[in-house]
Amino acid sequence: MEDLKSKLKVQIIEALNLQDTKPEDIDDNAPLFGEGLGLDSIDSLELMVLLERQYHIKVEDPREGRKILQSVQSMADFIQSKQPA
Amino acid sequence: MAERVFITGMGMITAIGDNVAENLEQLRQQRSGLGYTSYIDTIYKQVLPVAEVKHPNDALAALAGITPREGYTRTTLLGLTAMREALRQAGITDVQTAPTGFINASTVGGMCDTEKVYFDIVDSSKEGAFLQYIDTLDCADCTQRIADTVGFSEHIATISTACSSSANALMFGARMIKQGFLPRAVCGGTEALTRFTLNGFNSLKNVDKQFCRPFDQQRTGLNLGEGAAYLVLESESFARANNSRILAEFTGYCNANEAFHPTSPSPEGDGAYESMKAALAMSGRTLKDVDYINVHGTATLNNDVSEGKALERLFGNDVPLFSSTKPFTGHTLAAAGAIEAIYAVLAIQQGLIFPNLNFTEKMEELNITPVTALMEGVSVNNVISNSFGFGGNNASLVISKYEG
Amino acid sequence: MAAISPQSTFEGDVFSAPLVHTDSNLLTCMEPDYKPFIPANSLRRMTRVLKIGLTTALQSIRDSGVEAIGPIVTGTGKGSLQDTEKFIREIEQYKETALNPTPFIQSTYNSVNGLIALQVKGTAYNNTFVHRGFSFENALLDSMMLLAEGAPNTLTGAFEEMTAEHFYIKSRIGFWKPAATDSRQLYEQLSPGSIAGEGATFFVLTGKPGPDTKAALTGFKMLYKPTAEKVAAGLSVFKDGVDLILTGRNGDSRYEHFYQQADALFPGIPQLPFKHLSGEHDTAGAFGMWLAAQLLHRQQVPAQWFPMLKDIPAAANRILLYNHFYGEQHTMMVLERV
Repeated sequence: MEDLKSKLKVQIIEALNLQDTKPEDIDDNAPLFGEGLGLDSIDSLELMVLLERQYHIKVEDPREGRKILQSVQSMADFIQSKQPA
Repeated sequence: MAERVFITGMGMITAIGDNVAENLEQLRQQRSGLGYTSYIDTIYKQVLPVAEVKHPNDALAALAGITPREGYTRTTLLGLTAMREALRQAGITDVQTAPTGFINASTVGGMCDTEKVYFDIVDSSKEGAFLQYIDTLDCADCTQRIADTVGFSEHIATISTACSSSANALMFGARMIKQGFLPRAVCGGTEALTRFTLNGFNSLKNVDKQFCRPFDQQRTGLNLGEGAAYLVLESESFARANNSRILAEFTGYCNANEAFHPTSPSPEGDGAYESMKAALAMSGRTLKDVDYINVHGTATLNNDVSEGKALERLFGNDVPLFSSTKPFTGHTLAAAGAIEAIYAVLAIQQGLIFPNLNFTEKMEELNITPVTALMEGVSVNNVISNSFGFGGNNASLVISKYEG
Repeated sequence: MAAISPQSTFEGDVFSAPLVHTDSNLLTCMEPDYKPFIPANSLRRMTRVLKIGLTTALQSIRDSGVEAIGPIVTGTGKGSLQDTEKFIREIEQYKETALNPTPFIQSTYNSVNGLIALQVKGTAYNNTFVHRGFSFENALLDSMMLLAEGAPNTLTGAFEEMTAEHFYIKSRIGFWKPAATDSRQLYEQLSPGSIAGEGATFFVLTGKPGPDTKAALTGFKMLYKPTAEKVAAGLSVFKDGVDLILTGRNGDSRYEHFYQQADALFPGIPQLPFKHLSGEHDTAGAFGMWLAAQLLHRQQVPAQWFPMLKDIPAAANRILLYNHFYGEQHTMMVLERV
């Protein structure tokens, strides 16, 4: 789980080109959107692409996407729930 | 006092018809043009509905009155077909008899054909006729080919403001007439379906896998369409001297930007509110004079909330009859503003309110619902037509019955 | 006004900057530091032409002294080529699945306008013209109409980029000279094709002169696919009092005869070419207008920019700018000192 979260942070920074952000700057539970990292709706679409390209998980409904993409923790939980144990 | 601007000719081609009369008939019959693509090479062929014009390019060339040849993209052929009808209807056999501007609109130019040969174009080991499509990629290509075919040379322009492009073309033409640069201008837009655009909107996750449901609680997105439409605009003095048949008056317009988000409208519809309000003020009509609103109504989650809120804010408890005709034609992007302006003229001429197909459930955010069945024998004197696009571009047009 | 171009035109005493030249047949923009202009959170997604377009627009507002910007009107022939190319490639690469929307959004021709509006909270009229050598000029015409309709000012500009891929594509239909050409010698050996360029140029326009006014636009004409005679007739309308001519000459032998109309009509009036500075592109005319306004405002000609001229003309009061894009879209402007 910890590995997954660290990997996710690196992938998020790369996918969204967050040049001034380091993985350790992102708190597992901090909101990614709005106040937290200051991401917007286009970023949320890009993060869904990240899930699809890197983890082969397709999120169809943008409303469902909002819940999954709340934080690094929620993303990691979702990825783990989709992968065979 | 600036000149009044009249509409004296119209031409169109959409998924529901090759000309204005066929479009009117299908609107009356409440027959949608939505279906699945025959001509785009995509994995979504049977997945994402589109409103495609049901002719291959060879047949379109015949409709456009030219022999099929390299370099004439589907965008150009659709445009030329609509252009020929608009000129014919306005009684113009030679555009050179009076200074006539051509203001066109396009969002991706000849991408429909360029995308099919793009990887050959960039491959230095390949040679062939495809090289003739190199220059068709930009938006001016279709404008110039249409202009050269029918003989426009006075003033030409191409506008690209996403989904409001042809509404802005109509506005630009009308303003050139009002300021005395031109007595006559043919304005509108042309759009062909492309794999590029289909994947673009799909990447934004706002394409519905079902037929689109504007202003419905269960809507999940738009369906793309293709087509072209042009309107002949004339100054009052020219139209009178020329004995032109006046179809309607173009009384108001506004282009306003939301400055809210690159692709999404503001939740309260600030831009839509401003553009409708200002267009109406310019027309000299009051809120009560508006008989019908042909809404942008793309059926995306955001557009319909935002546009609906703007209607409620502007009209309060007396929101006029409104409908989105996108379930008939799909969202034709650069052509949408001109197609829907023609529908506005048809509503006035025929006393019709077109239904908003596929509506069943009121949106929870709104108190209003669209017209769901064809209404006949309605006195329609003033219509607002909305077109809103990426980049916060909002455009509203007011089209009014010609009363002398 | 402001310009990002292959020359050092963006900041500082631009007329003392050295001439930038190339023999690669492609003049590339000198990009400034964008951070003082665009918030980092917005910058991260933007591709090059969005950055140069937005930054030039913001700089021209700063330069103008105008506080509230009215309508925003631009012209671009090609929009963001980098984004268009990227999206076409990703559709192929990922077989139409899992596509990032950003290149699609940014490939939209009005995306720069949208970004400017967002950053300056510009909620007035907003329009984008996309018509090759008439892109900027239609934006200019639109702006003049807006001023006549009562707009307090307009932000009017153009932006264009050239990518390696698009340079190659256009080379296949004869846009560029096949042989490597020193940009300083662009006008010496006429042959088919020119050299490519790119850039962004923006102006704040007002209906009446103010303390920061650089020049006045007093004459304007666009001609679509005219004959040489029509060009001559068009140019002769602007004959009175012109003391300098800026030409869009680009070394292309196929269309040189149009510029020769100006030579014949204005004997003895000095000429300056500008395509060795900007390179050829759809909206190079905007750079020409920027240069004309600078010449009028500064009342000098930067001699080091014109090594090909024996005599450097004196300061000018009334400049005729004549440009065309591959023989199709011809534009003429008169700019005067204020």
